Amino acid sequence: MPQPPAVPERRGNAVVAVLSAWLVPGLGQFYLKRPLRGLAFFALVVASALIGCHLEGNLYKVLAGQPLTMLATFASMGMGFLYFLLRYALHYQGNIMGAGYEYGTAFLLTAGLMNLLLVLDVWDIVRGKKE
Amino acid sequence: MLSHFLLMVLYALIVSLFFTLLWRRERKEQIRLFLQIFLGMVGGGLLVAWLMYPFPSGPPAPIP
Repeated sequence: MPQPPAVPERRGNAVVAVLSAWLVPGLGQFYLKRPLRGLAFFALVVASALIGCHLEGNLYKVLAGQPLTMLATFASMGMGFLYFLLRYALHYQGNIMGAGYEYGTAFLLTAGLMNLLLVLDVWDIVRGKKE
Repeated sequence: MLSHFLLMVLYALIVSLFFTLLWRRERKEQIRLFLQIFLGMVGGGLLVAWLMYPFPSGPPAPIP
C-alpha cells in the first residue's frame, strides 16, 4: 500500500521567524531554538557592519536618477535594525574621501546580504525543508 | 588597518565563516568547506592581483 507523502514538519510561526530574522541578525535562528548559530550569525553580521562603518563606507540610500541605488539600498537594508540605527539614530554617513571607502561599502553591503540569506535560511527551516 | 591584504583576509574570513555555518553542520565538513572558501578567496585574490601586475595603474579616478 503506498505511503502518503510526508508532511513537512512546521517549526514555529513563519511570519514571526522571518520578521525576527530580518530585524535582528540571528534572532530567527534563536527563535527556532538554535541559539549558538544565532549568536554566531549575529556576531558575523554585526562585525561586518562595524568594520564597514569604521572604514567609512557608503550606507546606500535611494538617489533620484540612479536606479541601481535601489538595489544597493535593498541589500543594505537587509541588515535589519542596524541599517535604521546607523542611518536615522546615529546619522551615519560614509566618507567618500576616506581611504577605506570602497572596502567599507563592500563590508556594509555584505552585512545586509548575509542577513538576507539568513532570512531565507530561517524560511527553509520553518517550512521543514532544512534542518 | 587599511592594508589591502589585511582587509581582504578579514573579508574572506567573515564570508567563509558565514557560509560554513550556513551550509554545514558536521565539524569535519565545516573545516573542509571553511578552508576551501577561505583559501579560494585569498588565493584567488592574490592570483588576480598577480595577473593585473603588468598593467599600469593609471591616474586616480575622479571623485564624483
